Amino acid sequence: MTVEFEKIKRQNMIKLPYMLDFYPLQDAKFTRIDRFFQNLKERKLTTTKCKACGKVLWPPRIMCPECFSENLEWINLGVDGELYAFTEMKLGAPLGFVEDVPFCIGLVKIGGLLISARIDGAKYEDLKIGDKVTLKIIELEDDRIFYRFCKVKE
Amino acid sequence: MKKVAIVGGGASKCGRREASWRDLVQEAGKAMFENVGNISPKDVDSLIVGAAQPERFVFQAHVTPMVAECLGITPRKVAARTELMCASGQAAIRYAWACVGSGMADIAVVFGVEKMYMPDMTEAQTNMTCVLDREWDGVNGLSAPPFFAMTAQRHMLEFGTTKEQMALVSAKNHHYSTMNPAAHFQKEVTVEDVLKSIVISPPLNLFDCSSITDGAAGVILVPAEDAKKYTDTPMYIVGTGQASVGNVINNLANITEWVPLKMAVQETLRTANITRDEIDIAELHDCFTISEIMEYEAFGWCEKGSGGKFIENGEPHIGGKVAVNPRGGLLGCGHPLGATGILQALDIFQQFRGEVPQGRHVKGAEVAVAHNLSGAANVHSIIAYSRDLK
Repeated sequence: MTVEFEKIKRQNMIKLPYMLDFYPLQDAKFTRIDRFFQNLKERKLTTTKCKACGKVLWPPRIMCPECFSENLEWINLGVDGELYAFTEMKLGAPLGFVEDVPFCIGLVKIGGLLISARIDGAKYEDLKIGDKVTLKIIELEDDRIFYRFCKVKE
Repeated sequence: MKKVAIVGGGASKCGRREASWRDLVQEAGKAMFENVGNISPKDVDSLIVGAAQPERFVFQAHVTPMVAECLGITPRKVAARTELMCASGQAAIRYAWACVGSGMADIAVVFGVEKMYMPDMTEAQTNMTCVLDREWDGVNGLSAPPFFAMTAQRHMLEFGTTKEQMALVSAKNHHYSTMNPAAHFQKEVTVEDVLKSIVISPPLNLFDCSSITDGAAGVILVPAEDAKKYTDTPMYIVGTGQASVGNVINNLANITEWVPLKMAVQETLRTANITRDEIDIAELHDCFTISEIMEYEAFGWCEKGSGGKFIENGEPHIGGKVAVNPRGGLLGCGHPLGATGILQALDIFQQFRGEVPQGRHVKGAEVAVAHNLSGAANVHSIIAYSRDLK
């Protein structure tokens, strides 16, 4: 009896699946904070503020975790931030970011919040704590959108 | 609640292993049952498995029955799996302790395992980048090294901590791991080696970072009143503390002071009814050199901001104020996520029994703590162990 042997072919490369993609799903079919991304398209970085207790929430929410109110409003965080800390991704980048290495990552103070973001427009060596940074918007190939910051030229 | 003891355990060799996830399980399981001669797999009524990301690293969910099947265990009281990222193994010990203490389980195996080496390591790095909030922090490339790099940058700015002081942590822990045959690394690392190693995320160099590691380990828990049936030298679980504050960067308590760790320390000392000066051995979560420095401070062995000086003065060495990471730490032993908390417990067990090499043996040690942080250092978990039942 011969044992049957067959070499089968499979698709070698697959499209980066959404659940291995760090950028969030953004339209109203998948999230109730789609307004955040619509605002980004209009070049505005916004978040939700609780109208009941006054807490500014980050990330934007559909309910205030402090008082459970759903009475939230969208507020504009402006475009001017300050670098609180920064580093550079030199090794160990995940799928989707490998091509960008090396790139700078920072913690940015903006609108009373401290948020992480990619920092463009400068090498690691050119950055210092306290640097002024300004909002930058990026758009992905599938029209999804996200924010980064850029070092302000002195 | 009944008092609970660990009566034995075993581990696989840790490292870049030419072995599968289930191979590691079988290696550690065999070592564990050989260590406790009079408990057979069929005596075990409960199994709790600490595993951080088997869904990602080996594309396998529902892993508790797989471990049970690999080891011939048929749980009939408790079967569960814990995930708390870097603290997954310790979380498993906590729950098994609660189960045995409450009478829900009588003989419980706590098992931790992680297979992290993959054919394409970009995939492994991807897994490690969904630990912080993926949509708001991970999306910016914020995996562990950049996060702890920025923590180090702020600590250096605010308190004058130096890269040399951070490197001393790595040198100490690598020194102890040269005497640990189960460790991933057995080579001495000098301060200069650390400073000259390649930059991962500045100011962190390669030897400031714990490694990606394959490994598995298990321990067996029974009620303290039964412990001497299985060994003359059990180890007792005497206290615990855990706290979690915030998750996304904006909602962390503080970047340069680990508030949830201070909370967990207080709760551990309270529940164990000990003072920090009674702690002889501290297995601390040195995922990065800066972590251990900040942990000296949060435990209160030195003032806030003076962790760098603490290591410079040799205080966390054996013979100093407290022996920190005589196992070799995550820096020397590697960090197989689900196994780490169990490897720490196992090494403390062997320390109390005098079964570790002399050069890293803390003689006369009676009280020890094992600590793990997870995520953006927003979660801290501690268990206190004692050689004797007080």
